[in-house]
Amino acid sequence: MIEKNIWQKIWQKRLMYLFISPFFLLFIVFQFFPLIYSMILSLYKWNGLGAREYVGFKNYINLFSDQMFLECLENTFFYWALSILMIIPVALIIAAVTFVISSKRIKTYQTILFLPYVSAAVSIGLVFYILFDHNAGFVNNILAAIGFERIPWLVSTKVSKFPVLFLVSWRAIPWYMLIFYSGLQSINRDLFEAAKIDGANPIQNLMNIIIPTIAPLAFFCLINLSIESFRRFAEPQILTGGGPGSSSMTLVQYLYINGFTIFKLGYASAIGYVLTFILIIVSSFQLRIMIKRSKEGV
Amino acid sequence: MKKTKLIMIVLTMVLSLAVMGCSKSTQVSNDGAFPAGKMTLYAYGQPHFRQEYYDAFLERNRDIAPEVEVEIIQTEGEADVRQKVMLSFTAGAYDDLPTAISTNPVSMQAMAESGILKDITEFLTPYSTKLVDGALEQVSFGNSYYGLPRSVRPNILFYNNEIFEEYNIDPARMSTIEGWLDVGRELKEKSNGTVFLSYIDPGSRTWRYYGRRGVMPQAGAKIWDDEGNCIIDSDPGSRLAFNTIDTLYKEELVLKSAIMQPPLYDATRANKIATYMIGAFWDEFLRKNLPDMEGKWRTLPSPMYENIGTRGAPVVMMEALIETKNNIYADLYLKYWEDFTFNNEARITWTKSMEKQNAPYPNPISLEMLNDAFWQLPSSYYGEESFRQKEGEGLQNASVNLRVTSDDIEADIIISNELERYLSGDQNMDEAISNMAKNIKSRIGTTDPVQ
Repeated sequence: MIEKNIWQKIWQKRLMYLFISPFFLLFIVFQFFPLIYSMILSLYKWNGLGAREYVGFKNYINLFSDQMFLECLENTFFYWALSILMIIPVALIIAAVTFVISSKRIKTYQTILFLPYVSAAVSIGLVFYILFDHNAGFVNNILAAIGFERIPWLVSTKVSKFPVLFLVSWRAIPWYMLIFYSGLQSINRDLFEAAKIDGANPIQNLMNIIIPTIAPLAFFCLINLSIESFRRFAEPQILTGGGPGSSSMTLVQYLYINGFTIFKLGYASAIGYVLTFILIIVSSFQLRIMIKRSKEGV
Repeated sequence: MKKTKLIMIVLTMVLSLAVMGCSKSTQVSNDGAFPAGKMTLYAYGQPHFRQEYYDAFLERNRDIAPEVEVEIIQTEGEADVRQKVMLSFTAGAYDDLPTAISTNPVSMQAMAESGILKDITEFLTPYSTKLVDGALEQVSFGNSYYGLPRSVRPNILFYNNEIFEEYNIDPARMSTIEGWLDVGRELKEKSNGTVFLSYIDPGSRTWRYYGRRGVMPQAGAKIWDDEGNCIIDSDPGSRLAFNTIDTLYKEELVLKSAIMQPPLYDATRANKIATYMIGAFWDEFLRKNLPDMEGKWRTLPSPMYENIGTRGAPVVMMEALIETKNNIYADLYLKYWEDFTFNNEARITWTKSMEKQNAPYPNPISLEMLNDAFWQLPSSYYGEESFRQKEGEGLQNASVNLRVTSDDIEADIIISNELERYLSGDQNMDEAISNMAKNIKSRIGTTDPVQ
């Protein structure tokens, strides 16, 4: 029997391929092609109009002597690390509390808790802007009332990242709370009954039942949050515009400025590829830990 | 076999529809009238207020444009306009391009150089003597005109007369920058630091309003020399301008608060801000955000350096026409510009309507129109002083704007970044200037100085 080549195999199942082709067409046009095209572009100097100038790896080399890029890189890592430390534990605690509370109004509470996630980023950014204003902001008024110095939240390069971090956390916690809550609902209630009989307290329940059960979910949240953190754009853009200076600017903001304000498309593409490289490293590192842990669990 | 036929029929239909969708007919009527359709404008700021003028213009010209409408597409800003145009051009989607776009000198140059904009030298040159000084200063690239000036607005000194009366200070002392700074010191002393001479923005607007459009041109400063080398750290004009900002900030003559944000309006309303040295556009923001301060504000031409003697540089707002075969309304847009620039009656009607709505409106740029008594009428917001007349006076003895190059957007980002660090206390002004030069040289190198 003659073995069919790949094209013959495809032709044999052409109808099936025809039906799945819309996805692949869209993928090629909107994802695969831009991916390859931006890689090529990262080797050129081009303002989007006129002729392109081939510069080799100069865009990549220049990045590492660009003070703004290095600061944005540092800021991005700052947001990533701090948002993981703030969002995951708080989301887990709120999810656990709403899970154990037996109240008729629990759905109402959950809806209220979820509101920050569905609120428009622009309007919330404006509210935070007013809250953190140096002279008239609510936060500084509270600090002044209890005897502390007013903090120049949005106008100091030293502290401008914190309001952004608060805004990010405030918006993201409800989403991760919901994920954890759905994970908690999958825990067999009998376990809690058995723990109650054994005299376990809430902390022991959390450490010995809840956390081990939802560990895979927590890793999913960790990876998801990491990817989100490295792609952070809206919150710092709305609240501080990345400033003062570039003290609260993320890599994606810097990419955007280079691509669509300065129109250095090659340079912006190089930033995009550095970002992709970082994401691959961070995600694969986290995935390796996850796989290792799941094997240990088996 | 049936399946194959079915697939072929479906594919043929899809292909035919795609081809039909891509082809746009450009009917031109025999009587010389413009074909039915939409004349589109990409614009930023508050362009919706101009819709009224466009509609009225078309109504007056139904003989040549019986079925033409105007659509203004609001964009986030100038960069957004350029981005949209650039992407349509790169994609070859010429049908998606607008008739005209609002733009600025840097983007205008880049787009003109790439052949995106229509050369309107022949159209604009005859009007050069009929327009106010500076109207055509920033709308050219090489030896050709590409931009249609819509407004030429000077830098103006707005001052709160109530504060000056309360502390018995003569506003006329602010005719020079040195005098303005002295007034700030006196206000600070007399008010025990509760009244500030002005504001300073912790973000990029300090460079925009105090730097590029503010004291830099007045000080005769230069970022680039004639060969395109960065000289911001060695140019005496730049030093003078940055030292003025340094004095304002170091001596705490300014309230650190973001411009166009509620806290600054609150401080202004509470009589904590005595002056604003800024473009005439600030009139719109005062009237709109502080209507309760009607009658308190007055204006003066922006102060000048004693040893230099020129006032603030004007800001030209412009539109440019897109250069494609499909731009069937390009000539109609030129007619609109002529109407907007020289039709006094229509302009007065529109301005009165804008006034009623507390909406923005610029002074005319036609010298003849400016002589009309309407443009000298008093304004109740300025204590019966004529703001429009003062705006016209502000254009006299104006400084020349900074040289604009294709690298200035990036240079602005670098300069502003260092200035913001200075305002945040991370570095002193000398370090900021030195870092500006260092980073411009490392990231941009030299620029093409041709304008």
